[in-house]
Amino acid sequence: MSVAIEIQNINKKYGDLEALKDINLTINRGEFFGLLGPNGAGKSTLIGILGGLVNKDFGRITVLGKDIISNYRETKKSLGIVPQEVTFDPYFNVRETLEIQSGYFGIKNNDEKINELLKALDLTDKAEIGPRQLSGGMKRRLLIAKALVHNPEIIVLDEPTAGVDVELRNSLWDYVIKLNSQGKTIILTTHYLEEAETLCDRIAIMNKGEIVKIDTKENLINSIDKKVVSVKFADSVIGLAEKLEGTSCKIDEEENRIEIEASKNDLNDLLKFINNLDLHIVDMNIESAKLEDVFIKLTNLGGDRDE
Amino acid sequence: MNSITFYSLVKREVSRFSKVAIQTIFAPLISTGLYLIIFSYSFKSREVVGYGIPYISFIVPGLIMMSLIQNSFANTSSSLIGAKYNGNIVDFLLAPFSYIELTLGFMIGGIVRGMLVGSVIYLVSILFYGGEIVHPLLALLFAFLVSSIFSLLGIIAGLWAEKFDHVSIFSNFFITPLTFLSGVFYSVKGLPGIWSKVSLFNPVFYMVDATRYAFIGQSDVNPSFSLVIIGGLAVGLLLLVTYLFKIGYKVKS
Repeated sequence: MSVAIEIQNINKKYGDLEALKDINLTINRGEFFGLLGPNGAGKSTLIGILGGLVNKDFGRITVLGKDIISNYRETKKSLGIVPQEVTFDPYFNVRETLEIQSGYFGIKNNDEKINELLKALDLTDKAEIGPRQLSGGMKRRLLIAKALVHNPEIIVLDEPTAGVDVELRNSLWDYVIKLNSQGKTIILTTHYLEEAETLCDRIAIMNKGEIVKIDTKENLINSIDKKVVSVKFADSVIGLAEKLEGTSCKIDEEENRIEIEASKNDLNDLLKFINNLDLHIVDMNIESAKLEDVFIKLTNLGGDRDE
Repeated sequence: MNSITFYSLVKREVSRFSKVAIQTIFAPLISTGLYLIIFSYSFKSREVVGYGIPYISFIVPGLIMMSLIQNSFANTSSSLIGAKYNGNIVDFLLAPFSYIELTLGFMIGGIVRGMLVGSVIYLVSILFYGGEIVHPLLALLFAFLVSSIFSLLGIIAGLWAEKFDHVSIFSNFFITPLTFLSGVFYSVKGLPGIWSKVSLFNPVFYMVDATRYAFIGQSDVNPSFSLVIIGGLAVGLLLLVTYLFKIGYKVKS
């Protein structure tokens, strides 16, 4: 598999603050890659360096084998970056904005692609409207259209769905999945971890300017030894708290439901214990760990770090 | 240089001010038109010492140059500070512009607006002084160079400014005083004592004086000398602005 982006020893300081500490990362062509981390982790700074919005202090980045400094014009043509901040050019309506943006990337008469994007992002009926008349979600969709108008090989989406309603979020993801299936490399940062869990093949988790873990989604989730057993009883659960003392347990006395956390090894004993409670079970559900659990563990509690 | 990329930036810059033409083209016409009316009425019979021509013929080249200076500066400075304010400055940073394309693209936008306003004011001034230009090609050359210089200064101001007020500082404390003290309304030869010498340190003086030479065939200093100063300034600023774009002065963190 060829390399889309190679990041080597990238460092960036803002005064005394080390925004990025020796970042090394390889993203392959055709991957759907997640870059996750809490606010201030350094994700947007890294994307900014990639796109030429931020000057790096040290290190090297190549895009499709070309250096982003010495070959910046070529690398910029390969990248479509949706910045986190919602920005707009107040003088031009949606269609004009996309025509101008096409021109910036050396493309004339780009109507076919513009119409495709307007349709995919549900902006067709807003094409002749100025950006001030667009809602926040529409402005964000216009940003996405701008980033895709030159048909880039690598698409970087920095919080693309913030403020976008659920229906349009789904249609956006359908479109991005389609682009990915056509071979485009997608890099996604998002606060919606369930989106990353659903979409990404590999994920890097950043915290305080460092990459604390890079792995496939499955490996990341499997690294957490956690099962959550949720049981709904026909009988009252009042009084169960005493019996469940010492376990990580939540009891909902109104719904007659209990929720117990256990490791995979303890699961067998836990199910026997529930059976021995002598209560009539009406529903049971066992959930595995989620990406959110991995995220919380790696960003709040530290621990497993890739050196 | 990619012609489509470059042309798109020029088109964006020209479209931007054309969409607000009342404010960018016609407003300057009103203010300069008022100067023409007031001066042609107030100093109807006055002749400029050493020139032997009516006062209105003397000030028209300076008034045209003044409008050209203000508008070419305003175009680039407002375009850039507006782009910083609205955040769409990232459009120029993320796109594959070379640094010289960015410099020339913004600069040409300012030149077009400056020369358009200057041309409209010239057309109106015909009503007041007859419209004769002794060296028309030279007048065009000076208009081009001066609007280039102030477009480039506008880019510097726009990059440097963090809010709209900062651009007015640049305009009110540098551009306006230097323009008003450049001999638009008087001949510096007539200034008392040291002041005629001090005026020679004002670069705008050479711009106004050279333009006056192109219009009426007379000037305070040799127009070739003025051309060297104006041309040198234009080239120096072009290199400086290209460098500022390269380092991402005040736009990249």
